[in-house]
Amino acid sequence: MTDLGALHRETAEPGGPRPPGSAPRRGAADPVKALLHRHRELCERAVDPLEIAAGLEAHGVTDRTAARFRHRDVFSLAEELYARVPRDDGGRPSTAAATPGARADWAVLTLLPGALCFASLTAPRLTHGQTRLLTVAAGILATALALRAALRRGPLSTGDHPSTAPRRSTAAFWTCWLVGYALLGDGLLDAAITGGPDGLPTGAAEGDWPLTAAPVLALALACAPAAWTAHLFSARARRRLVSSRGLEDFAVSVRPVLLGTFALFLCALAALLALSAALLDEPFAPSQTLALGALLFLARLLTVHGFTHAPKVILTATATAQAAALATVFAARLPGCGPLAAPVDTLATAWGPGAVPTLICGAAALTLLIHASRTLTRASAHTRPERPW
Amino acid sequence: MDNRPSHHRLVRIRSSRCESPDQRRLRIREIGGAHVRIGLLAESGYPYVSGGAGLWCDRLVRGLDQHEFDVYAFSHSEAQEDAGWVPLPPQVGRVRTAPLWTAEDDGVVHGRRARRRFTEHYGELAAVLCTAEAPAAPGAAQGAAPEADRFATALNGLAELARDEGGLTAALRSETAVRLLERACRAPRARRAAREARVPDLLTVAAHLEQALRPLSLDWYEEDGLGAVDLCHATAGGAAALPGLLAHHFFGIPLLVTEYGVRLRAHYLTRPDSSPAVRSLLAAFHGRLAAETYRRAVFITPGNAHARRWQERCGADRAKLRTVHPGMDATPFDEVGESPGSADPRTLVWVGRVEPAKDLVSLLHAFAEIHKEEPGTRLRVMGGPSGAEGADYLGHCKALAAQLFPDEAEGPHAVGDNPVSFEEIGGPDLPTVADAYAAGAVTVLSSVVEGFPAGLVEAMFCGRATVSTDVGAVVEVIGGTGLVVPPRNPRALAEACVSLLRDPARRERLGAAARARALELFTVEQNVAAFHGLYLEIVARTPVHRLLLNDSGDPLPFAAPAEAHVPGHWTDLTPRAIPTWARNAPVRTTAPAPVTEAVR
Repeated sequence: MTDLGALHRETAEPGGPRPPGSAPRRGAADPVKALLHRHRELCERAVDPLEIAAGLEAHGVTDRTAARFRHRDVFSLAEELYARVPRDDGGRPSTAAATPGARADWAVLTLLPGALCFASLTAPRLTHGQTRLLTVAAGILATALALRAALRRGPLSTGDHPSTAPRRSTAAFWTCWLVGYALLGDGLLDAAITGGPDGLPTGAAEGDWPLTAAPVLALALACAPAAWTAHLFSARARRRLVSSRGLEDFAVSVRPVLLGTFALFLCALAALLALSAALLDEPFAPSQTLALGALLFLARLLTVHGFTHAPKVILTATATAQAAALATVFAARLPGCGPLAAPVDTLATAWGPGAVPTLICGAAALTLLIHASRTLTRASAHTRPERPW
Repeated sequence: MDNRPSHHRLVRIRSSRCESPDQRRLRIREIGGAHVRIGLLAESGYPYVSGGAGLWCDRLVRGLDQHEFDVYAFSHSEAQEDAGWVPLPPQVGRVRTAPLWTAEDDGVVHGRRARRRFTEHYGELAAVLCTAEAPAAPGAAQGAAPEADRFATALNGLAELARDEGGLTAALRSETAVRLLERACRAPRARRAAREARVPDLLTVAAHLEQALRPLSLDWYEEDGLGAVDLCHATAGGAAALPGLLAHHFFGIPLLVTEYGVRLRAHYLTRPDSSPAVRSLLAAFHGRLAAETYRRAVFITPGNAHARRWQERCGADRAKLRTVHPGMDATPFDEVGESPGSADPRTLVWVGRVEPAKDLVSLLHAFAEIHKEEPGTRLRVMGGPSGAEGADYLGHCKALAAQLFPDEAEGPHAVGDNPVSFEEIGGPDLPTVADAYAAGAVTVLSSVVEGFPAGLVEAMFCGRATVSTDVGAVVEVIGGTGLVVPPRNPRALAEACVSLLRDPARRERLGAAARARALELFTVEQNVAAFHGLYLEIVARTPVHRLLLNDSGDPLPFAAPAEAHVPGHWTDLTPRAIPTWARNAPVRTTAPAPVTEAVR
């Protein structure tokens, strides 16, 4: 070790490794102070001495260096630094979590279902016969694909939540049923009560089994406001998340945001419904569409935030209830089963056939709203998955 | 501990299972415990092709073919899993892997009692993290014991819950967990940083804890899983050691922990941007986990003195520490090492990956002085850049070299050349690393930050005199067989180099000593032998006591005879001092003990 010793004597200097050209090289009374000054940021933000020790070592400070500061090792040097640095734990304002801004891709995608739906609803009026059938089939397919694409991207996608596995087939099926009922159900119920239907729907808004296309168009158009309001909700919720101090605070502050977002969506849907009724020349009957839209929006919002169970159950129950209402009307035609149809009959005659889905979807939407106001106000619903390592 | 078979639920995180055909072979237990079944817990990516640090595991497993290895490995990413495994030798009985980068929800919803158990244990864990002081200063070992016990109890409670009921992943992600954390942070005895925690901090901590506690949900803790091995060897601290802790808790399996880099230290350096509350709580968790690992381990083997000091600092008992230096393959360097005269006496060599931490600028400044003292000296910098930052730095260094040193030529009619050259290893001039070291008489290491200096060991294998900076484990590695100067001191570096360049005899002496030292301390063989010895010592000192059952399932008393626990080779004929009168009468009165299953 003679080589080592000689070199150390020659070259070791108090103050340890310094960047070349920095302040006085010799004669400092308090060498630790210079070190403290150099690593001030590290020392101020450290939560314990070991963090300072790790940081110092990363800067090349070794036990030999620490010996020049009259310390046994880096750990005791770090302890001195930790003790000496003034610490203001008042906390820097935590940097606002960067929310993903609105992006062009999903903004355009959410407009697609509405446009395609409108096209496929107007196309049959211009075509006849075989072509018309093909057009309708192509329109439905295109709308479904556009809807799928719109739900894959942006704020309505489930992709960025860890616990939503791709188990959405049942929910998708029941959603299709509910939309199908909005298109065909009212006409069928009306016809069934009056003794029909005598044939398949002709696709016209009048006749034995009329189609009500306006609600479907309105729902397809509502993809865009749904995405925007969902985006608004998650952005607002994350902002509240950053600013709130406790979980209770957060729940209290997020609940009005949720209700406001929901109301905003309903207003947008009502406006779109009026627009589509005017476009398609159909009567403006908002109640059942609003109820259905509210139900679907809340179900999607819950699914997006990782709560898949409740929407699935509620959607299944709603669709089953609607099917049961239709079934009772038909079953009442069997001998001896007349009273079965009484409740649906009463409802339909009192407020029209739209009252049945309004009541069912409204009740379901209300249930989901209560559920959402409890679950979506939890902080854990608004975490984003962190990339490990 | 509820260990009834009916309580073993298998619905947990899916882990792949692959058993080689050799697994069916009969386990022959040699007398004296020479055949050990080792559960190798790997996190650094051993069976995977892309696992960078898995090389030494592979060497260890291949070096100890008389033992049996069960590999339990964590994968870090999907890409790593897709890349596949390295070819495994036959002594690897089985491989079970689990992803750490994702956790599937097993769909179990906890009932009321399970929820209460979770609340109790997780609340306890959160309370320990929030109230804990800095983990285990050496003097405070007595005071820290109850806190450590609380941590261990909470951890084991969560593990038992996962084993009995499943569904821990969902519970750790739930709002309940966040609420428990919040309550612990607002408790009166909570430390200051924890009291500052805001909602995003709580969520971050909860998410990180969920990730860190994923090993608890694995289906490895069964009689035929980790319960069947003789000892667990964790190849790193942190997540890899967690299954070892649980195997110790459930089955009493002894644990050996090897740490080449201290996980706790790495953890401090990985999260610089988080808020103080997050860093404080997570540091408390990792500190407690490290302390608990060190407390339960029979032996802890740091790779160098630096890791050793950190482990001591985190509460490791000195009596348990055995430094085992990483082994490196010496054979590629044998030819160069045996022919010291082949080097160009006027050439300095630097070998490594070019990055700012290597401080090539300082080396260039030093070389400017060397060149002034000893004209005609050349410096060859060999190695490619690492990453984009390294490429920038390499460009900067090249520009600096061109500025500092004008091209020089032999005479007025020869083409000139710069005394500093930058070369890549792997080209036609330098096919191997050994050739790079062979090119110069003196090898220089100018880093400002260094862990275990593998390049220095390679230079030592090559029998080259070295000048290195005093960083990381350099002094420990080089011993007295090379020159060491302070980092960031070009003048000292230059003086050391010049003194070596002017003294060929000293160069040769130091090179020979360095090679001898490296061959003694840093070869694969010494590494494997050290672990072999530790395995045998662990099995001898803390054997796993298993209840052996007969065919009808009843316990067999005295199935493992008392002699089986006698340390040493008690049936070996040679080493025993036998009186001369006994040598001629080898009459056995009792039947020999059954060889299989006897030795524990």
